[in-house]
Amino acid sequence: MGEYWNIKPELEDSVKQHFSAPPEAEVELEFEVPEKDFNTAGRGSSEVKDLLKRLGVDSETLRRIAVASYEAEINLAAHSKGGVMSCMIYDDLIHLRFLDKGPGIEDITQAMIPGYSTADELVREFGFGAGLGLPNIQKNSDALHIQSAKGSSTLLELLIFFSAP
Amino acid sequence: MSKQKAHYFHAIQILGDNCTGCTSCVRVCPTEAIRVRNRKAIIDPTRCIDCGNCVTVCHFHAIIPRSDSMKILEDYKYKVAILPAAYFGQFTEDVSYEVAKAAVLKIGFDEVAEEAVITEFMVKVIRQYIRNNRDKRPILSSNCPAVVRLIQVKYPSLLPSVFHQEAPMSILTRYLREIIEEEKGIKDEDLGIFLIAPCVAHVTAVHQPEGAHTHLQDGAFSVSMIYGKAREHIKELQNNPPKIDTYPKGLTWALSGVQAELVDCEDIRTLSVNGIENVMEILSRVEDHYLDQYDYIVLRSCTNGCVGGCLNVENPFVAMSRLKKMIKEGKPNEINLEGIDKLYNSGEFDVVPLAPRPIMELDKDIKSAIKKMKRINEFLTMLPGLNCGACGSPSCYALAEDIVQDRASLDDCVVLLKRHSKEEEDNY
Repeated sequence: MGEYWNIKPELEDSVKQHFSAPPEAEVELEFEVPEKDFNTAGRGSSEVKDLLKRLGVDSETLRRIAVASYEAEINLAAHSKGGVMSCMIYDDLIHLRFLDKGPGIEDITQAMIPGYSTADELVREFGFGAGLGLPNIQKNSDALHIQSAKGSSTLLELLIFFSAP
Repeated sequence: MSKQKAHYFHAIQILGDNCTGCTSCVRVCPTEAIRVRNRKAIIDPTRCIDCGNCVTVCHFHAIIPRSDSMKILEDYKYKVAILPAAYFGQFTEDVSYEVAKAAVLKIGFDEVAEEAVITEFMVKVIRQYIRNNRDKRPILSSNCPAVVRLIQVKYPSLLPSVFHQEAPMSILTRYLREIIEEEKGIKDEDLGIFLIAPCVAHVTAVHQPEGAHTHLQDGAFSVSMIYGKAREHIKELQNNPPKIDTYPKGLTWALSGVQAELVDCEDIRTLSVNGIENVMEILSRVEDHYLDQYDYIVLRSCTNGCVGGCLNVENPFVAMSRLKKMIKEGKPNEINLEGIDKLYNSGEFDVVPLAPRPIMELDKDIKSAIKKMKRINEFLTMLPGLNCGACGSPSCYALAEDIVQDRASLDDCVVLLKRHSKEEEDNY
């Protein structure tokens, strides 16, 4: 079982607190992301973005959330057997959770290297699979957590604070 | 110049007597600006972007475009009409470019200028702007006023990427003011410059320019009105062919795809999008940074670009085909815009940074906004989810939002009302 954490040092306390005792979310959304369905993939992120605009989240934070959630949602469609995207909104942060049905990531550290990709032909035909998904998600998140093993499902979750210090 | 009053203006007007409350307009509004209340449509002026969808869809002549009356010409000694390229796509093919242009001189204008004349200059300015602002790529075109307003209300995070220079029409107006005063000795207050507008957004832009330092044009008339008046002089001009300069190679402004092709070059990759639904999808993708491979995106609210504007008379596809024919068959013309570079270099075409006009926020404070969002979700579970629009709000979600914002009540839902009355019947 592989596990990967990347937390912005200055936010370590708040992130740990959030994960050790997750409070009840103010607003929750859930989206089914089917395997290789690039027509519907991206709809979840788009709805999340609309919702955050309604909440008045500032445009720079919104941009980071849009990039990270869209990348992660496309990843789910491109590399997994499908899964679920959940979005938990609090008054100070957003928690995005992507849980798939496998096949798992063999080496997470390797997957984090920019340019590394296991995308197949079909995925590349759609214009995805440049190997920039995970590094890009990490760049735009305040905390990133990935848990996976070969042959099992992958959990990717990230936190982005609304007023980043 | 600018003898017309400056007040917030939309070029769309509702005639309450004609409105049947049918809700067609409610459903086609891209910014959800329209509601039907007490069986009459009302437009929220802060949300309206003047795209003209409601004007096109209304079959009862209840939502009509507003443009100026030709009477205002009387206020000026020297009157100039600026023709958009789309104008030339309105006439049947037996009417030549020259005749269509000269006809405008017969209906009360002393001079007629064309947007097409500055196409080449604009391409140069746009390319230079893109090269100077590589960090903001993709740069989004700003010559469609409805798109600029759409970005202000729904995609404010993209405002820094918008091409921040005057629109071609305004650059031309600024230039004409300079040279007409200089060459003809006409005082600024005697000079009236009028835009012939293919769409309501351009009429609005004349009266309510976004980002402009000054009001440039003195009024706007619709293409259809000018076309109607110009037609009366076509026969006479065809028998007596006029000598007048034309710029066929510049007619590309009216056509979304062709404009992008002109800007496209070795180091600039362009994308062209038209139709407001497509524009919104692309802007959302730009927000996700998924279109960073492009340097310039041409965005037009109407089908095929300005030829699709609701103040034209001809179908956008037919008009586009005619313009393409004119462009193809036309000979390049020597264009001399002496002094325009001087104006450009001295910053005369600069605009102030565009300000956001956010409409989506439920509340200024995020905690209150979340509370409202929760209440919206509660109402949403009670509503039938048919999005029929019969309540006068565009969707069940919009009604839930209207209820929470005290602009509607649950009783407005026709479906719930019917269910309740049936339950009551069953109980007795």
